[in-house]
Amino acid sequence: MTATTSLLDRCRQAIATVDDPEYPGVSIVDLGLVESLDVRGATATVGLIPTFSGCPALDMIANDVHRAVSQVDEISTVEVKWLSAPVWSVDRLAEGTQQQLAVDFTVAVQIGTGPVLCPRCGTATSHLSMFGPSRCRSVHRCESCREPVEVMRS
Amino acid sequence: MNDLPPPVVDYLLAIADDKHLMGQQHAEWIGVTPFLEEDLAFCSIGQDELGHAAHLYALLAGDDDTAIDELAYRHEPGAYRSCWFVERATPIWAEALVRHWMFDAADQLRWSLLAGSSLSALADLAQRVEREERYHRLHSDTLLDGLLASPVAAEPIGAAVTALAPFALTMFEPVAGEPDTVAEGVAEAPFATQRDAWKQRTEARFAAACTIDWPDDPPYGDNRTTRSADFGPLMARMREVIDLDPSAVW
Repeated sequence: MTATTSLLDRCRQAIATVDDPEYPGVSIVDLGLVESLDVRGATATVGLIPTFSGCPALDMIANDVHRAVSQVDEISTVEVKWLSAPVWSVDRLAEGTQQQLAVDFTVAVQIGTGPVLCPRCGTATSHLSMFGPSRCRSVHRCESCREPVEVMRS
Repeated sequence: MNDLPPPVVDYLLAIADDKHLMGQQHAEWIGVTPFLEEDLAFCSIGQDELGHAAHLYALLAGDDDTAIDELAYRHEPGAYRSCWFVERATPIWAEALVRHWMFDAADQLRWSLLAGSSLSALADLAQRVEREERYHRLHSDTLLDGLLASPVAAEPIGAAVTALAPFALTMFEPVAGEPDTVAEGVAEAPFATQRDAWKQRTEARFAAACTIDWPDDPPYGDNRTTRSADFGPLMARMREVIDLDPSAVW
């Protein structure tokens, strides 16, 4: 039993090393993309959910997870699945991830219908375009520094 | 491939093929829409439609990953279940925008029939689709609100609505498997039960641009088993890369 628990933890750690291709240094675990992990014998099954169905990086992420978990000792088979539920939302971001996105990528996060603040200067932003450079981000503009602000939202 | 009854496969294929072709049609506007925000919008919206199609194809493919490409790109024309509306070439921007609105309005009604599906993966997917489609509808409505306030813009939009309206009704053309699919509880009711609601929404949306003269008999084919003239060139463009090396692994 102890050995199985430890194997599960090592699989968890392996998944946590996978970064989102859009945000190098930000784990897919912290972005809330990992929904389930099941380890039975030498088989690990990982269930993921996309931020949006249209994300073009889904295959890349699944391949990265497959590769990472395959390297865990005692694991011989890895299955990675994109699940049909639940629906991803920004509420799934880990504590501190919002801050990391703001500092490292100048990406703001909109919680609910709350205000979006500029990651550079903290000023309120105004909505510019519903769709942005990637499927999971829209574009705002800071009213103070006039810089465009990319925004993740549910 | 899967353990779904053939009528349900028929039914799901229609939704997947509609979304697949609609996604492709949207994608073909990338770089040539009238302004940058629309490039981004048609790109993102097209990606979502392709994503929904991929998820449905995956349901149909079961454990066989290669079957997804078969379903999406290698079927005989008669094996597709797309409607003529999404096959139609729309080289005119106003028509692309109007079709985006018409398709997403119908799509909302279609997925509302699947929210309580006996197929749990489909009921789950209905929630994700609705959360994403909400942005699509917000996009087309916001743009149309602005454009229809201007007579200059309302004229080409009205012409687009008039040209597209008969073909748009083919979205509601059933597949042969639909009655059994409804009987199985996979869908709550036939999609055609939503047609009048969709027509009313469409008339209200474009009232400032035109009055719609609906045909008495929609131009239906044969349970979505025959393809329109525009399908061949569209599929040829879609297969352009995959045909370069049919044995390539993606």
